[in-house]
Amino acid sequence: MACKKFVHLLSLLPIVSPPFAVATAVITLFGRGGIISNQLLGQQWNVYGLGGLTLVLALSFFPVAYLNLLGMLRSLDPSLDEASQSLGANKWQVFRTVTLPMLIPGFAASFLLLFVEAIADLANPLVLGGDFTVLASRAYIAIIGEYNLGAGAAYSMVLLVPALLVFIVQRYWSNRQSAVSVTGKPAGAAKMNTSNAARIPVLALVAIVMALIITIYGTVILGGFVRILGVNNAFTLDNYRYLFQGIGSDAIITTTLLALIATPIAGILGMLIAWLVVVKLRRGAGVMDFLGMLGLAVPGTVLGIGYAIAYNTPFDAFGRRFIPALAGGGAIFAGAMAIVMVYIARSIPAGQRSGVAALQQIDPAIDEASTSLGASGLTTFRKVTIPLIRMALLSGLTYAFARSMTTISAIIFITTPRTRIMTSQILSEVEAGRFGNAFAYCTILIIIVLTVIGLLNLAMKGKGSSAAPTIPPAAA
Amino acid sequence: MTDLAAADQLLEDNSPASGRLSLVALTKQFGNGPDTVTAVDAVDLEIEPGEFITLLGPSGCGKTTTLRMIAGFEDPTGGEVVLDGRNMIDTPPNKRPMAMVFQSYALFPHLKVRDNVAYGLKLRKLPAAQLNEEVELGLKSMNIEQYANRAPNQLSGGQQQRVALARAMVMKPKVLLFDEPLSNLDAKLREQMRLEIRRLQRHLGITSVYVTHDQSEAMSMSDRIVVMNKGRVEQAAAPEVIYRQPATVFVADFIGRANFLDVTLLSHDDDGHATVEVLGQEVRVPAHPDAAGAADVVLLVRPESIRLVAVREGDEVAAGGHAGTVTTSVFFGDTVEYEVDTEHGTITAVVADPNVSDIHEEGAKVEVRFNEGRAWLLPREG
Repeated sequence: MACKKFVHLLSLLPIVSPPFAVATAVITLFGRGGIISNQLLGQQWNVYGLGGLTLVLALSFFPVAYLNLLGMLRSLDPSLDEASQSLGANKWQVFRTVTLPMLIPGFAASFLLLFVEAIADLANPLVLGGDFTVLASRAYIAIIGEYNLGAGAAYSMVLLVPALLVFIVQRYWSNRQSAVSVTGKPAGAAKMNTSNAARIPVLALVAIVMALIITIYGTVILGGFVRILGVNNAFTLDNYRYLFQGIGSDAIITTTLLALIATPIAGILGMLIAWLVVVKLRRGAGVMDFLGMLGLAVPGTVLGIGYAIAYNTPFDAFGRRFIPALAGGGAIFAGAMAIVMVYIARSIPAGQRSGVAALQQIDPAIDEASTSLGASGLTTFRKVTIPLIRMALLSGLTYAFARSMTTISAIIFITTPRTRIMTSQILSEVEAGRFGNAFAYCTILIIIVLTVIGLLNLAMKGKGSSAAPTIPPAAA
Repeated sequence: MTDLAAADQLLEDNSPASGRLSLVALTKQFGNGPDTVTAVDAVDLEIEPGEFITLLGPSGCGKTTTLRMIAGFEDPTGGEVVLDGRNMIDTPPNKRPMAMVFQSYALFPHLKVRDNVAYGLKLRKLPAAQLNEEVELGLKSMNIEQYANRAPNQLSGGQQQRVALARAMVMKPKVLLFDEPLSNLDAKLREQMRLEIRRLQRHLGITSVYVTHDQSEAMSMSDRIVVMNKGRVEQAAAPEVIYRQPATVFVADFIGRANFLDVTLLSHDDDGHATVEVLGQEVRVPAHPDAAGAADVVLLVRPESIRLVAVREGDEVAAGGHAGTVTTSVFFGDTVEYEVDTEHGTITAVVADPNVSDIHEEGAKVEVRFNEGRAWLLPREG
């Protein structure tokens, strides 16, 4: 169904776009002089504060939950539905007593994961917060505005504790429930629900969300080509001209380059950790897995402030310089090294998670078959394991690149005047009220991310034959 | 069907005298401290070159662990695996001249059938021409040339298992290891494949160790069956011996079906027979040597050694017979199976090729007789 694919792709847009795209578009659409709120409906809504933040965060983060649940729904065994029906349950009862309880771990995992993301979010509160202050923006103001590193670090600690706590709860929860979520090979196909009573409300809700996404991203694209969207709708290329001259093009090239450096390193490290966790390590596996996932558990703001404090000064001992300063204006490579390190730390979990999932699918007998045919451990890894997790590596790389390009909270504390990063440039444009430039930046960034993802897909899929699933075949 | 000529050509320089495998006090313990579980308990076994050995037993008896220790996937806690006079314990699994066939086939899903078969030879860095020739012979011998360019998931289970066999065979191993290779196939295909594997193995003379829990598989394929229980070898012998002259009650009970009659040992003769009393009747039956000194003995009578004779009202039971009442009578087509209540307890009887009009109804009075020459006296405690 073409429509299905369209909805799927639209749902993924927020993942590949910078955090300001949604917030800025929402201000333009629903703000005080907003196109929809004021010009269309004649209302005076206040989008700044908790209400607007909730809407924007929900729109920005729902794709993560969507992907989580999509995977779970796909692995649900339709024969469970059929069993429930044959025991006398109607469609609604099947959903309520079988489908929903089996999805609860997925809901819970998504909820907790997104809690960590939301509590640590910096970009949206900066743009949309207004008088409503959150911890992350307080830490930001303390450091950038008041030059009070100590206060910033203190706010970070307050932020770190609940984030880590929730993350640990989430891990415990999903580990405990893993027996339910991995049901193996689904047999048969799920039947579509055809009752209108169920379809119409769900479809209507989906349609509203999709309309919202289309409007928001339409605003982003259009906003780049007019003077001030909603105020002066005259067509102009000035925004893009501004971008491609001087600072703008510099930031675009630097950001893309640094993300391209970080992506393969993060992808390979993630796979390596996954391999150690699933195949090699017996005892330390849990600790290893947790360490790898820290990049996700630690709020970006905390990570950024931590890097700024830890790497601003060189490491000297015994009268010799062991490590030069990595972050800040005086650092080597103009601080680019610290930025790449942040990108890697933030991106490893994505590759690691898809790697762990892919490796757990591989029948251990396949490794043993390779050994039995004379292959050493390394040969088996190279000739059997790597080809089998290629698709996972691809999705890991895709996430890593998208995450690196769009991250802001960790980066904002360690960018330097000589190393400009697009997301922080977008923030200053938004803060200066130059929405046109911000929209143009966002559009370019989305195009870069989509292009690189497309190229990655081409490169990985073009090689070799089809990557077949590795579930052991059942009886003939 | 397998192509024996192609298989011959593939393995023409294999020396028939090699492949002698010895297990010496092979032991495997899992866990430590008070939780230690002994999965394999000092197993000794001599396997002749070219012999087909089946490890048979209930799940958890240690048969798979034994096989995996031979392959090298499991490190023994103690003991030795000796191949042609060389202890293999310190040889890693990829350096042992053995090839394993797995229950789940374990084909590499990202490689075509041809590349699956070529995998091991490529690692040996064979010249391209020789490699191609041997892969072709391997494919041909398992009759799967037509699938050479397919992906494994495009094949049926039986075809996949053929690929796995070809992949193991082109390695020209001294020992072939099979880990329940047919248990994922349907019954008919399983019967066909076990005949093919047996034919191929006997023809090529590769020493083979085969793990299964399916006794008909073990009976139909093996030179010798090793019946295992709780990590120990209960008996290692030819299928006929295992079936007719089991060493222990466990073996008698596990292989085929068995009636155990309580008897009193009267005398044990030197000629392998004993005289026993069964409910007041003296009979002479073949006996296990250990039965002579045993505190308690039991008489094994297979259901097919039992005959049932209809008894009309008022008739006396003749000498050598025992009165009984049919409680269950099930017609299977090729056989009829009865359960008969007697003074010995419930006795199971199987009558092959039954004449429908002669089938005893449930509730019918019968006279139970058994062929004394086919009975087997053995000690109650192993």
